Amino acid sequence: MKPQLTPMARGLAVCAGVLLVVGVTDAALHDLLAQNPFGAPRSPQAAQPEAGGLIGWLLAKQSEFYRQMSATIRAAKSDGSAVWTLLFISFAYGIFHAAGPGHGKAVIASYLVANRETARRGIVLSFASALMQSLVAILIVGISAWVLNATAKTMCKAEGAIEIASYALIALFGLRLVWVKGRTFIRALQAVQAVPAIAGVPHDHHDLGHHHHDAHDHHGHDHAQAHHHHEHDHVHDEHCGHSHGPTPSELAGPGGWGRGFAAILTVGIRPCSGAILVLVFALAQGLFWAGIAATLLMGLGTAITVAAIAVVAVSAKDIAARLSAGRDGGGALFMRGIEFAAAGVVLLFGAGLLLGYVAAERTTCF
Amino acid sequence: MGMRALFGLLLAVALSLAAGAAQAHPHVWITATSELLYAEDGTITGVRHAWTFDDMFSAYAVQGLESKAKGAYTREELGSLAQTNVESLKEYAYFTFARADGKKERFQEPVDYFLDYKDTVLTLHFTLPLKNPVKSRQLVLEVFDRSFFIDFQMAKDNPVKLVGAPAGCQMKLDRPSDGTATAQKLNEQTFMNGENSNFGMMFANKITVDCP
Repeated sequence: MKPQLTPMARGLAVCAGVLLVVGVTDAALHDLLAQNPFGAPRSPQAAQPEAGGLIGWLLAKQSEFYRQMSATIRAAKSDGSAVWTLLFISFAYGIFHAAGPGHGKAVIASYLVANRETARRGIVLSFASALMQSLVAILIVGISAWVLNATAKTMCKAEGAIEIASYALIALFGLRLVWVKGRTFIRALQAVQAVPAIAGVPHDHHDLGHHHHDAHDHHGHDHAQAHHHHEHDHVHDEHCGHSHGPTPSELAGPGGWGRGFAAILTVGIRPCSGAILVLVFALAQGLFWAGIAATLLMGLGTAITVAAIAVVAVSAKDIAARLSAGRDGGGALFMRGIEFAAAGVVLLFGAGLLLGYVAAERTTCF
Repeated sequence: MGMRALFGLLLAVALSLAAGAAQAHPHVWITATSELLYAEDGTITGVRHAWTFDDMFSAYAVQGLESKAKGAYTREELGSLAQTNVESLKEYAYFTFARADGKKERFQEPVDYFLDYKDTVLTLHFTLPLKNPVKSRQLVLEVFDRSFFIDFQMAKDNPVKLVGAPAGCQMKLDRPSDGTATAQKLNEQTFMNGENSNFGMMFANKITVDCP
């Protein structure tokens, strides 16, 4: 029994290890950002972030970059060279904003783990969805504020409606993934159960399958609980591309790009509050084009960070797949199980966001 | 055994990812000054806030509003916006939390509210009357957004004023960026409880008034 399990056990260990690293990094980033207000340059006595060295310092910069935008746009009115500063700040803000904590990385990791796609498609989707987010923000402000001269109240309501729609899309998307991956998983399960009869392998295999199943159930369950807890107050940071990653599997197989568009839509429809504020501010200064440029650069920065996370997630899964490729099909079952669980996580995220969001709908409007 | 260890690892990952989900960074900055209003007999009747928004949010908020003079808004022109603001703030308990001798106090709907627009920024003025005016030895007033969408900073100069307070009352202000003991304690508690939905508490501005 033991020797047969080894490849899979190794796969498990590596996969868990990689996930743990991602998790710990995430937690570390989260601590760093939590300290951000204490270490923000605004208060002289706390100018040095206590922890994190370079990364901590960079994350502390995020708020500062954002706050510099308004002054830079103002400066650009009289000094054309300030536009370059604005573009740089926007780009940097995009990178750090997406690198900061958010449920986004979890969604991205889940999406990617649920799928068998290449890192390249992950990158393409990261960029496409970030671009779409930028365009949605530009369209919202362009149409409502510039063309219709709508008030902030109206714009905020439109934003709120789009947010709800985007959460519903994530949930639907997760539901479909669960359906597809669930069937694949069950097929893999049946295949493994069939093996002992043919090859005469001891019946322990059977148990193994069940263990997996249990583990993943629990995994998904915990996610659900955690999200009901947390999503409530945190509707705001689900913006700017880092929130929802691309789903390369959506691009896999025949008709890939059509389904890829659905994925881009799901992820990219949610505009960024920050981008909308910048755009309206730029419009008020008579420099709408500068706001558009800043928004696109923000999107580019976001895309780079999200793409990097996408590549890491895909690589981790590839390694796990290689190491768990057992002789007896148990490795395949393991991978299908992981994909199924990840699909469940996407569904739970969507549902959690949707429910949490409804409870805190008007958070951004006042 | 291996399975159990794996399950533990996955659980740890799930929890840390979930913890990360509760983070936000501010999009709106408010510089606040607050007045604590006292009646002649020393009871606290309410709080009067003046909240100055950052210029980006100010530009956003006045978008689409009509004004006679371009780039200038009178109090009347901002009247409907001020009303929208105070009505919306109700949902967030006006970001103002009071405890008198440890007991939670509630506020009535705001009165005397208006917005003014000066040097491209908006300032929202409003008074929150206490539902039940109280006489207490200690009053703690906290101003913060628990979701940290809004970053509240008390003004540098004269952030808190006691209006008509009995002689001998002592006021103390704990700013979140001080990294004071209070803030750190909250920080630890918050993370130990895994209760991140309240994490804006770490950024609370805490005003403590002790009266003899």
